[in-house]
Formats: sequence, structure tokens, C-alpha cells
Amino acid sequence: MTDEVTPYRVDPTSEPEATAEIKALLAACDLSYEATVEVFVALKRGRRIVACAGLDKNIVKCAAISPELQGESLSLPLMTEIAHLAHERGHTHLFLYTKPDNVDRFRACGFYPVVEVPGVVTFMENTPIGVRGYCASLKILREPGAVIGAIVMNANPFTYGHRHLVEYAVANCDHLHLFVVAEDTSFFSYRDRYAMVKAGVADLPRLTLHPGSEYMVSRATFSSYFFKEKNAAADSFTAIDLLVFRNFIAPALGITRRFVGTEPFCKTTNKYNRDMMLWLRRPDSPFPPIEVVEIPRIAHGEIPISASEVRSLLAAERFGEIGRLVPPFTLAVLRDKHRPGRTPSQIPDPPTWVENALNKKGPETYEDS
Amino acid sequence: MKIVREALAGTLESSDLMVRIAPRAAGLEIVLQSEVIHQFGAQIEAVARETLEKLGVDAAQVIIEDKGALDCVIRARIQTVVRRAADAWTADWSALA
Amino acid sequence: MKLRRSMLFLPGANAAMLSTAFVFKPDSIMFDLEDAVSLREKDAARILVFHALQMPIYRESGMETVVRINPLSSPFGMEDLEAVVRAGVDVVRLPKTDTPEDVHQLEAEVERIERACGREVGSTKLMAAIESASGVINAVPIAMASKRLIGIALAAFDYVMDMQTQRGDGSELYYARCAVLHAARFAKIDAFDAVFSDVNDDEGFLKEVDLIKRLGFNGKSLINPRQIELLHNAYAPTDEEVDYSRRVVAAAEDGEKQGLGVISLNGKMIDAPIIEHARMVLRRAAASGTRK
Repeated sequence: MTDEVTPYRVDPTSEPEATAEIKALLAACDLSYEATVEVFVALKRGRRIVACAGLDKNIVKCAAISPELQGESLSLPLMTEIAHLAHERGHTHLFLYTKPDNVDRFRACGFYPVVEVPGVVTFMENTPIGVRGYCASLKILREPGAVIGAIVMNANPFTYGHRHLVEYAVANCDHLHLFVVAEDTSFFSYRDRYAMVKAGVADLPRLTLHPGSEYMVSRATFSSYFFKEKNAAADSFTAIDLLVFRNFIAPALGITRRFVGTEPFCKTTNKYNRDMMLWLRRPDSPFPPIEVVEIPRIAHGEIPISASEVRSLLAAERFGEIGRLVPPFTLAVLRDKHRPGRTPSQIPDPPTWVENALNKKGPETYEDS
Repeated sequence: MKIVREALAGTLESSDLMVRIAPRAAGLEIVLQSEVIHQFGAQIEAVARETLEKLGVDAAQVIIEDKGALDCVIRARIQTVVRRAADAWTADWSALA
Repeated sequence: MKLRRSMLFLPGANAAMLSTAFVFKPDSIMFDLEDAVSLREKDAARILVFHALQMPIYRESGMETVVRINPLSSPFGMEDLEAVVRAGVDVVRLPKTDTPEDVHQLEAEVERIERACGREVGSTKLMAAIESASGVINAVPIAMASKRLIGIALAAFDYVMDMQTQRGDGSELYYARCAVLHAARFAKIDAFDAVFSDVNDDEGFLKEVDLIKRLGFNGKSLINPRQIELLHNAYAPTDEEVDYSRRVVAAAEDGEKQGLGVISLNGKMIDAPIIEHARMVLRRAAASGTRK
């Protein structure tokens, strides 16, 4: 049939002509090309690409349909192909960001809205029981109390600074829920970070340690996205993460207070902390506000303790100094993992998505303290 | 049949459905979304459940995105997704009819 | 005798088309498990077609169901066959038939499955698609290879490649068309022409239909439902032909009643082939009226 469209896969690293055509289509749709896309699906009618969508791991990006064909529901074959392609690549749980005006179109493709930054961007996932299922599993872990606290930390690695923050939080709420960022893009693996936190807080009462999830400081919730308005974008990608926390995670566990350490070094984390004040407390939300408590990080001597400081010392193999900044278990992990000559800068770190999102320095990325 | 991996079958196009299946410790969890859920939701779910039971699948999470498919298409897509997700496909054609 | 003018190809993985194609009323509907289905969807298409074949509409409407299976030498062919014979398909279309042995092998497997599932032995009909020089050269033994064969079909896409040429004005198919047609007529089975793939070119399509109808083909494989009506109309007889055929058949029936050995119309003798042709004209008229 003439109106028949055929799906093709386009590898942007090896198919410059098709990639150029995709870039032109995106430009015609007022979308920007994302270099993080690993593979595209392109629908061709005849020899022309009329629709495309890309995959950056489990995030669908650069979804566009030629403006003159937008009435034809090409999104259905396009997103069918994306779903199968993602599945082949090992990703079943998919996310995407879109303008709120496009939500209905993606809704017809099996994506469900999670949160919306009003008028700017909507965050969607390809399952009706994703975030709701996650919250149902959290609800089981609810604890009684008037003031329920939460901390989300990367702990790359876990320091006395983290320990100080947790101690303070435990002392200032009835129960504390502590989450370890699950995304495996840091210098220390998630497994190691989780183990360090677990050992580091083992003696503290009224505390639940949670594994992280895709709904919390993850590639999905904390990603850059494709709108051209860079300022709006930079504002929105922290907002998505914070809205998921406020609208889903906090109500599931009854969280009323979130604790963070001040961030004197990292612009990203600093901005995240400031945005927290806005998005967790905004009164124009149907969800209860969450109090944000920012406490100054402790210092060892004159330098505030930070994970990045520890990593620099590790690169220099100065274990004596590290021992004054981190608990014994962390030190043991550091000694165990450290291989002479392997420095943080040689690890494929920082994760590119953070760099792209921020266009700035890398290794400290979204460190929480 | 035991569901040992996640699988996907079908399309999002009209008169079809997309089905995802995932392993589950026990019991069938069927999550259905359909444009005709008010008229046909119960029937679609019954067809899905019956098809799974006939295949001896008693533990799985199944997510269905229905686009107005006929019952026979629903059966076909469920059987396909089970075939793709099961440890061993032992069904005889007579069990699929 | 069944009319087989239009044989509509449907990609076996397409649920929407499988659910609705009967509304276009082709003479035969052909579910394709072979070239129209990607490797990823081979399993899905087989199961979908298995169910589509059992939709009551096909039994009720008398629309013939055909399934093009994958070659038995491929990893999919045997399972395709198991599914469609059990689902009650009318005709199995074997692709890439090069020799009569291909048909014998298919026939043996069909019979085995019929016995295994309790289907009447012999009730599954076959059709062989000829897609190579070897197939064309062997057209006669292929056409004679099984009592189950209802017809042979020329498939042009692979054939022209095998002949080191490409589709053009039809001259590239001339020998193959004549060879397939003669083999079919010799074996007293149907002959089907290849698809015409440019669905926008109605004029070209009708020109080709005119040619194959004059050559004597029973019909043609189609890929677009829109072509069905065009084809049926082209095959529809004119009012004059229908009038004449009615008179021929009436005279024949009259003659039979009176026990006449020789039948005549307007003083001319009419013999069996003329009567048979007149009946076919009336069947075509009954199916699609007279030509518009």
C-alpha cells in the first residue's frame, strides 16, 4: 500500500545519512537531537523517514512524527517497534518525557503519566503499575510517628559526613527512611555503596534502609530531556525527581521531612537542594508539603568532609587521611577495591547523562554530600 | 508452564493488543487497559485468564494494552507471550484451540 | 468447480487485517507466514493464523482459506504445517516448489498430521508456488504430483531473480506464464498468476489482468484489497456473453432431458467444452455480475 510504513533501525554511529535525515525531522518538529540515543527506529514511507524515536537505554527520546502526517497515528507502529527493540536490548520498563500536550498520544501507546511539571514536561512510563506498584511495596514498610524523615544518598563512598547527617536526622524524627541511589553510574558500585551505608548505620535505631529504585535520583527521573528551551529543561529535570518523591514515595511512607547536607562544592547538588525547597513545599499541589532540613556538613580540620575529597585521596593512595574521613567498614571496602594505578579519572565516570544535562564538570555529579 | 523471563508480544495497533509477561512468585496478576474496558474489560480478562490456565501458567504478571482485539487475537497474543517467556513450551496445538 | 479469481495475501502477523479481511470478499484469502513475516514474528504469526483460520466467518461464508507456509527445509515450515492443518485450513500453499518431490514430501507430512489430529485424510488441499527456473521446467510433474493439488501459481519475485532479470512489461514472465498455465491445464488444475505490486497503478494492473485472463489463468494473487473489485470486474463477462451462455446452458439442459446425443443452438452443434465454458461464465456472472 502507498500509505504503508516500514520500520528501520538506525545506528547513529554508523549510518550518517539516515541520522542526518532524523536530525532534520527532529528540527522540523522543534525537537533537538540527543547524542545519548544509542539506536533509532525510523518509519519510512517510500524512501523518506516520516517518523522516528530513539532509545537511550530504557528512556525513549527524540520521538517525532513528520508534521504533515501527525493525524495518521503513526505513533502506534513507531512505539510498537520501540517496545520490541527495547525488549531485545534488555529493557522492559521504559520511560519518556514529553510536552503535556502530547500525553494523550503516548497514552494511546501504552505509556502512563507519572508526574507533570505543569505546562513544561510530563514524565511517563510504559506500565500502569510501575510507580504505583513500587509504592504499594513501600507502604508495607510504613512506620508510626508524627514526624517521618527521609534521606536519599549516593554515598560514593559513605563518609563520616553521611553518618553525621543520618545521626542528625534520626535524632530529629520519629522514624527515618534512608534510600541509597541505585543507579550504577558512580565510581563505587551500587552493591558496594549499599553495603557501606548498611554497615555505617547499623547501630542506629528507628531507621529503615531501603534499596534505591528507578523512581529516585535515577537516569529516568533525573535525566536531561529534549526540549529546546534549555532553561526550562534544566529546571525541570530536578523537578521530575522531586515530584515523584512528593507525589508517590512520601505519601506511601508518610514522609513529612527530608534531610539533606549543604553542598558547597557541587553545583548540581546545590541546585537539587534549592529545587527541593521549591518542589517539595509548593502550596499549589494536592499532596502535603514536605519540610526540607538542610544541615551544614561537618568538617575534618578546615575541609568539609565530602565523598569527592575521599576519592581524590584514594587516587593518591593516602589511606591514612582517608581513615579520618570514613568509618572503618568504608575504609576496608576502599582498601579492598583499590588497585594501584586505577584512579577515578580512568573509570568511565562521570555518567554522560549528567554531563549532558548540566554541561559542566563531572565527577561530583549529583553527590548528596 | 513456568514463566522464567519477561516477554512481549503483539502491537499497539487497532484490533490488536500488546501483552507483557513477567515471572511472579505465585498467582496470576492481570493488569488490563483497554479503550473498551467499560463494555468488555471483564470479558477480555476472562479470556486472558482462561488462556493462561489452559497453558498451565499459574504464576505471572501480565500487562495487557488492548486496542479492541477480537477474542481469538487475545488468545493468540497471550499464547505467543507465554511461548516466549516459558522455560519449555510443551503445549500441544489442541491446547491452544 | 470453485471460482478462484482473487487470492488476497495477508501478512500473518497483522492482527487487524486478519480480523477484518473477509469483508473484502476475495474468492480465496491467503494468510502468509513466509516472506511477509519477519523472523521475530514467525511464532506470533503462526499462532495468530491458527486462530484466524478457526473464525466461524470462513466456514459460514464459504471463503476459501489458504496459508503460505515457510519452506519445510526452514526451521519454521514443519511447525507452520502442524498448526494450519490442525486449524482446518482449506489449502496449504507451498513456496519455492522446485520439484515434484517437494510436493510429495509435503503431502506425506500433511497426511501424517491429518491422521494424528483426526482430520479426514485428503481433506487438506495443496497448492504449489513455482518461483524458479527449476520449478518452471518441472511444472508438469509438479502439477501432476498429488491429487490434493488444486492449482499451481507463478510467483515472480524470486523467479525473475533466478532468471537474472527483473520485473518489466511482462515479457520477462512470458515463458513461465505459458509453462505454468499449460502444466495446470494438462493436469486439470487451476493456474494463478503472480502479484502486481504497484498498488497505485490501476491502469498497469488492469492491463496485466487482461493479459493473464486472455492467456487463460484462473486468477491472480493480490496484495491490496482494492485490487479485488478491479479484478473481479475484469473477469466478469459482458451482458452478451451472459446471454449467449444462458442459451447454451438452457439448450444443453434441454438436450439432456430429451436424451439427445447431439446438442445444437441456432443450428450449430455445441459440444462439452463450450458448455463447460458457458457454465464458468455464468458462475463468474453470479459472483460479480456483468462487466462495468
